Amino acid sequence: MGVPCVTTKYLVSSMSKITLTNGKTVTKPFNKIWIVVAVVALLLYLFSLLIPFDSSTVKLEELKVILIKMFTPKGNRTWEDYFKYLLKLKNPLIDTLNMSFAGTIIGSLMALPLAVLAAKNIVKKPYIYIPARTIMNLFRTIPAMVLALIAVFFVGIGVLSGIIAITLFTFGIMSKMLYEVIETVDMNPFEALESTGATKTEAFRYAVLPQVTPVFVSYLIYIFEINVRSSTILGYVGAGGIGSVIKDNILYNYDRVGASIILMFVVVLSVQLLSSFLRRRLQ
Amino acid sequence: MSRADETLKRKPKRWIINLVFVVAMVVAIAFSFSGSSINWTRLRTIGLSLKVMFQGLADFKYDFLFGTGVYQFDEGVVYMALVTLAIAFIGTFIGAILAIPFGFLASENIVGKYVAKIGEAILVIIRVFPEIVLAIILVKGFGMNAVTGVLTIGLHSIGMLGKLFAEAIDNMDKSPLEALDAVGANAWQKIRYGIIPQVAADISSITLYRFDINVRSATVLGIVGAGGLGASLILAAENWNWDILGTILLAIVVMVLLVDVVSSRLRSKLV
Repeated sequence: MGVPCVTTKYLVSSMSKITLTNGKTVTKPFNKIWIVVAVVALLLYLFSLLIPFDSSTVKLEELKVILIKMFTPKGNRTWEDYFKYLLKLKNPLIDTLNMSFAGTIIGSLMALPLAVLAAKNIVKKPYIYIPARTIMNLFRTIPAMVLALIAVFFVGIGVLSGIIAITLFTFGIMSKMLYEVIETVDMNPFEALESTGATKTEAFRYAVLPQVTPVFVSYLIYIFEINVRSSTILGYVGAGGIGSVIKDNILYNYDRVGASIILMFVVVLSVQLLSSFLRRRLQ
Repeated sequence: MSRADETLKRKPKRWIINLVFVVAMVVAIAFSFSGSSINWTRLRTIGLSLKVMFQGLADFKYDFLFGTGVYQFDEGVVYMALVTLAIAFIGTFIGAILAIPFGFLASENIVGKYVAKIGEAILVIIRVFPEIVLAIILVKGFGMNAVTGVLTIGLHSIGMLGKLFAEAIDNMDKSPLEALDAVGANAWQKIRYGIIPQVAADISSITLYRFDINVRSATVLGIVGAGGLGASLILAAENWNWDILGTILLAIVVMVLLVDVVSSRLRSKLV
């Protein structure tokens, strides 16, 4: 009889002391959420000191003007020119897709051996898996844009530096995701094969690989999706693709920037829809 | 012939399919390279470039790192890294706050199937837009400063956060809500005692995860002038100042790994 009574009382009152129906008093425990709230508030305050807000730089009308300039034809160009320009962007678009495709496949293949070396359950030797993890963490933390900047230095402006950047980025992220999968596979078949006299390689090939392959393919599609999104803007630092069109036109031809953005949007959206459809089919 | 041999013989010849697949892949990759032009002069000196690069990368600029000596403190990498963290933190916070209504809007549990589809579509549109492009546009309205970075991160985060929040709300157990109905709780009490306790852990864990991602993207937003490390990064890369670039890269790696460790520790405590 007392229980619902206490519940409603607990609900409606925020008092820390609650008198139960049998006359006893209990204290509501201190809610730890307030510590979290305090820490977040403090961090927000400290960080906001680093970001000075100067209202004189806010020019919302200019933002509106730029947006209108982007999505309407410039000067004496007509809407027909605008759409014709969209068709002209076919080559940068193919470059972008090529970059992400080649980078995803090559990077993922490179990631396979590293992922095996980083998996504790296969390698078992700290002096192998710790360096392997360090390498993957290094590549994983450097943003694709920065990798592209460095690649441009070595092979010059163009698609190749984009491929290199995407490859290295994929290498880092794929090896990380893959080694986590390898570490969670069922090791019983592996041990069974080893006990029948199979070598470690054979046991890996027939016991671990079949378990990893479906996940690998699903990750491959997912990373391709990420790579299409990031390769659209890699051109901004000289790595080819749609991004380079934006970079070339950002100062004078806002309508062309706008057209590239529309194209980028359509491409990324369709790749994303395709990828989630394919991954759902795989499961 | 034993039965085992017969079975083995009947096994489909997978290697043909595999071979065709591999050949098709190789051709496709070869085609992907067709658009690339190779700067042979630069490639020929790749050994020298690598040497210069590694020499530069190994040559840390301690003054530049901590903003001492010829540098002001607010020109140092540590300060810029803190600004980058600040952009990511405040941006993620704003994004998370803005994403909560979107999360409810895209959850079938709360608004029903059809409205949820619309909410989802809005989130997909936000998610598709690359951050850098958003920053390029916002820079025109908010100037070349960190505030633009915060807004970019905040707006872009809504896409993923909203989607994951909606999933968290959809996975929620509905029976506490019915129980609260039974004891006569009103709407606010239902949210406070029925929904928040169930989704709070999920939402915080998702937000932490997004913060992790945002730190990484905040490092490059400066390339288009939205504050943080990116501005000096692109300056150093364009002038091939490997020593400065190396110092910045070191800061990025350390910062991202630290945030990664802290965020995954906190997340494992939450779940």
